Amino acid sequence: MPSNAAYDRMFRTALLIRRVEEKIIEIYPADKIQSPVHLSIGQEAVSVGLCEALERQDLIFGTYRSHALYIACGGDLTQMFAELMGRIGGVSKGKAGSMHLTYPARGFMGSSAVVASHLPHAVGSALAAKLRGTNQVALCVFGDGSLEEGVAHETFNFAALRALPVLFVCENNTLAVHTSIRDRQAFSIQKMAELYGIPYARIDAGYDFMEVQRVAASCAASIRAGGGPQFLEIATYRAKEHVGTGEDFGFGYRDRAAYDAWCAKDPLITDQASVAAMIDAIDAEIAAAVVAAEASPAPGLDELLTDVI
Amino acid sequence: MTSATPEIVSYANALLETMDGALGASPNTVILGQGADDFKGIFGSTTGLAVKYGKDRVSDMPLMEEGMTGIAVGLALNGVYPILTHIRSDFVLLSANQIINLIAKYKYMFGGLFELPMLIRTVVGRSWGQGAQHSQSLQSLFAHIPGLTVIAPSSAQTVLDTYPYLTSTFRGPVISFEHRMLYSLDFEVDRTPLANPLAPRLIRSGSDLTIVATSIMVLEAKRAARWLEEHAGITCDVIDLHCLTNIDPTLILTSLKKTGRLVVADTSWPAFGTAAEVCRLVVQADPTLLKAPVRSLGMAPAPCPTAKALEDLYYPNLGTVVDAAASLVRGRADHGVPLPAEKTMSDIYKKFRGPF
Ligand SMILES: Cc1ncc(C[n+]2csc(CCOP(=O)(O)OP(=O)(O)O)c2C)c(N)n1
Ligand SMILES: [Mg+2]
Repeated sequence: MPSNAAYDRMFRTALLIRRVEEKIIEIYPADKIQSPVHLSIGQEAVSVGLCEALERQDLIFGTYRSHALYIACGGDLTQMFAELMGRIGGVSKGKAGSMHLTYPARGFMGSSAVVASHLPHAVGSALAAKLRGTNQVALCVFGDGSLEEGVAHETFNFAALRALPVLFVCENNTLAVHTSIRDRQAFSIQKMAELYGIPYARIDAGYDFMEVQRVAASCAASIRAGGGPQFLEIATYRAKEHVGTGEDFGFGYRDRAAYDAWCAKDPLITDQASVAAMIDAIDAEIAAAVVAAEASPAPGLDELLTDVI
Repeated sequence: MTSATPEIVSYANALLETMDGALGASPNTVILGQGADDFKGIFGSTTGLAVKYGKDRVSDMPLMEEGMTGIAVGLALNGVYPILTHIRSDFVLLSANQIINLIAKYKYMFGGLFELPMLIRTVVGRSWGQGAQHSQSLQSLFAHIPGLTVIAPSSAQTVLDTYPYLTSTFRGPVISFEHRMLYSLDFEVDRTPLANPLAPRLIRSGSDLTIVATSIMVLEAKRAARWLEEHAGITCDVIDLHCLTNIDPTLILTSLKKTGRLVVADTSWPAFGTAAEVCRLVVQADPTLLKAPVRSLGMAPAPCPTAKALEDLYYPNLGTVVDAAASLVRGRADHGVPLPAEKTMSDIYKKFRGPF
């Protein structure tokens, strides 16, 4: 095992994400979280490596499946649990819930539950960064399903046309709900990026946050140097059902063997020494966040029509 | 009292039956939608049909709402009847260009040369933290556009008497707003065919008040009417509007002649919505029918909050309908009619444990 500070730091964040989601699975049956949850278990390393590669001023956009991105960018845990539980202490006062996590204090500028709708937001942010000369990079994380939507094509074209500072990251878990990418896409993702002249890289070891960090950092450096957008496809694996806290290997649309193969490579499973060294402190941090979140009251009538206009 | 036990069908099974019926009745009917062929089968409304009719006719789709809708135009132009599904009506907004700029206009714009018979089925989400982007009732947005027929079936009965008519006989494009909360509910059904399945229906009779309702608010209106009769002797006409476009106001006007008081209960926002349209029809026909100001009930004028505590305040419910009705009939806010202790169909909503 590599034993350097960066590895430990990223391992810790990845484990924190996993333990937070396992905590969500644990408390979900008690109805403390009354909203849909799209878990990132299996996909943690992507967000961890990406956020490690960013600078503090950079901007982040994600999907409804953004627990990992929220934590990786440094989002506060109590505010996250409070948000999931619909409490006033949540990052968006309980109005967002799990599907719309955000954390502007760390540049996480929004997440949308309408697939691909956030792609132009990242490109607009990149345009703003260019206009204002802020040297920011916009990170746009989306699932493989996003690439089928027309707006993805419009967005890539414009980002390339104007050489905007945006890093497109496709978290390719090969699934959109229950449909395999084979049954949805007639095109190659690489060729799609290259069609627009966007430099493309692929990471097969999406469980390897060190690799994700290394490649993403070099993409970000090129973008920051004025090289225009970059496209990173990262192979990853969604361990749980599309939405909800259960497993769904019994429904015949995917194969448990692929899951087992993924687990065999997942450092959060293989590196038990690191897990043992960190897990107690992480679990204590999570438990404290849950307690603090539950202490936050539900939003009242005064909030119902606040912030509408 | 009839001696025969009434037939009971769930909303989801009524949908499944009509989808099966449409595919069985014509080899040129197809269903297209994300997940239409999978094991969840659009919440049970298409389950098993891909196996029965083949995946070419019950077809999963990539994420391509606008493209899919444009493809439906091509199908409809060439004699294939498309049924499109969207698991949330919010996603229909991605097809709005095709629906509003093309589908709604195709017949008229080309001088009647073409017809686009098709059914776009969309599901309105509610409860379990659906939040701002998975909960919208967009019926009035589409009902505003000439050329579209917009329905909001409130029961298995209205599905069973309307969908077969649409898929076999009706020649225009239809958007149906199916409420997710209705799917698991059971309804008594009567198989007698209707002369016009798109007409509003009187589903309860009374003399003090007229409640015009849509979708799941029809159920709340019926329950409120029962409560008002039992607890205050107030009796209501309840009208299920059912189809929001080209409304024939006769039934509403006839009712108002008797009651003089109107509550409109819709699943959407009142502004520019169903309530506004019903009021327009009434006031244009005969403003003297109204003995009191109209009350309109709908979602609070805000995007839908995710937090349960706010969601409970956001939607009208049984109590809201009773309160509005009682204050209208009694002519004052302190009407003295007891309000139901239960908030709404909360048992149903509680049993509806998320995500979709
Ligand atoms: C425009 C739109 N269409 C359909 C949906 C329903 N939906 C929610 S998630 C999803 C699958 C998306 O798959 P992908 O982009 O690969 O992301 P993943 O869930 O795998 O992270 C679909 C179809 C939606 N939310 N938005
Ligand atoms: Mg995916």
